[in-house]
Amino acid sequence: MKRFLVVFGLIILAAVTAAIQDGAFAEKPKEAVTQQAQKTEASPAPEAAGAPTIQIDKTTLNNGGTIIVTGTAPAGKPVYLEIWSDKKVKASRFDAEKDKETGKRPYILYMTLEMPAYYKIFMPKEQKEQLDKFKKEGKKWSYSQALKDMGADIAYSSPAKAKIDRYQATLTGSIIGSRGELLPQMDDKENKKRSMQLIKARFRSPDKVFGTDVVTNPDGTYTAEIKIRKGVADGKYTIVAVADKNAKSQPVSFENTINFPNLYLSNAGTSLNLIGPFFLALGIAIFGVLMGAGGGFIMNPLLVMLWPLPHTIVAGTVMPTVLFSQASGIYNYSKIKFINWKLGVAIGLAMVVGGFIGPKMTEMITLDQFKFVFGWILIILAGLMFWQTTPGYIAKNKKEQAILKEFKSKAEASAKTKA
Amino acid sequence: MIVTFWGHEFKVNLIIGCLGGFIIAIISSMFGFGGGPFMVPLMTVGLGLPMYVVVGSSLLAIFFNTLMGTMRHYQFGNFDLTLFLIMFPAAILGGFIAPQIAKRVSPLVVKRVAVAGLLILALNLLGVY
Repeated sequence: MKRFLVVFGLIILAAVTAAIQDGAFAEKPKEAVTQQAQKTEASPAPEAAGAPTIQIDKTTLNNGGTIIVTGTAPAGKPVYLEIWSDKKVKASRFDAEKDKETGKRPYILYMTLEMPAYYKIFMPKEQKEQLDKFKKEGKKWSYSQALKDMGADIAYSSPAKAKIDRYQATLTGSIIGSRGELLPQMDDKENKKRSMQLIKARFRSPDKVFGTDVVTNPDGTYTAEIKIRKGVADGKYTIVAVADKNAKSQPVSFENTINFPNLYLSNAGTSLNLIGPFFLALGIAIFGVLMGAGGGFIMNPLLVMLWPLPHTIVAGTVMPTVLFSQASGIYNYSKIKFINWKLGVAIGLAMVVGGFIGPKMTEMITLDQFKFVFGWILIILAGLMFWQTTPGYIAKNKKEQAILKEFKSKAEASAKTKA
Repeated sequence: MIVTFWGHEFKVNLIIGCLGGFIIAIISSMFGFGGGPFMVPLMTVGLGLPMYVVVGSSLLAIFFNTLMGTMRHYQFGNFDLTLFLIMFPAAILGGFIAPQIAKRVSPLVVKRVAVAGLLILALNLLGVY
């Protein structure tokens, strides 16, 4: 057992170092950050006549908070505030909706690594009614339509510059688990349009990306109490006031800090208090062992329900946690010769192929589809569990468990005599 | 395929086993769970093997899938190291605590609670309430 623990420890160490070094093939949005940051600094805000001015009352926030923005704009013009974080995350969307004109389904995967981890446009408070209308539309709301209807499209600029890759998915490509063929870069206009869809895919609900807190006075001065919610990315945030397409203020920036036990999850793009997930994982791991099913069944849906984590990150992060308990289980069973390698490897080879395809399909579905399918999986699982509590199964299981015990003690005895 | 286990011979229909394993592997790697509760019924009911053959061998088969799924998720950049480092110690700790509790509770009660809990969770995911 001791030797096993040493090996086990080494495996963890190796895995952690590999992960910290960020393997060459892992896609990381970090490099994009500096590039993007330089871009914004390099382009001077157009000093057109009537550009609004902007001031903020503080330059640091601690895990969110309220910041007061004031300034002057040409009298009578509504003022929009565009605000984004420097930290970038991945966003993807699989387009399989029928084209209205041609009736064909495009099957294109849009993906960017340069989506701001936080993005929001604050609009004049007069737009509140309009915004409520979009909130009522539920999941079907359109971000680009919302921008247009509320006049916020003049402020939409930062995510439009994000580099978006397009992959043409094919059936054969899906079978071998590839993302598909990389299509040529889109022009700026198309890129902007697609970036809006990615905003919706990433932030999901209208109140995450729109606020109506800007109060404009008849003399052109404006004030806005901007609330930055808890659990967003740390680092630098930039605000620009926009009165017109060509009338933008100089960017101002502030810093959002987070302290332990809050941590920023660089791939998920959110920060969270680590105590919650720790105890959730602990409780579910215990319950999972007791009920004889891996904790992933309960852990994954709860993680996406309780925290704003993307389902791709949840699936990709929970899976490795069971890797080690499975390895130790295999080791323990193999010690008492309780594994049929021929059978395990034969079925295992078929499962390797499945495991190659599955993770790609996670990227292609939306969170709502993820929840829907997961719901049905859990109903089937509940059915299986219920079947295991029926008297017929229990009687049969009692016999089998007795045989299992007998074999186990035999195996343990023979393992001991050999050693 | 003929499988020998502790002196007993079993005939295994490999087509059912591999096809079932393949489908379970896609779903479980797609949604990020182990898949044991589906593999065990597949091998006991679908392949007609007794429990004592299935427990160890199903774990081995699933391990292949988990390993591959983990690598692919990592390749696609869907692995968050911080979140992993939060949950992993908790999962290990749970594995040590659970056997202590298991002695004191009836597995039947646990399973019934699990059925109720899973149904509540499922209905929530499906947006019923």
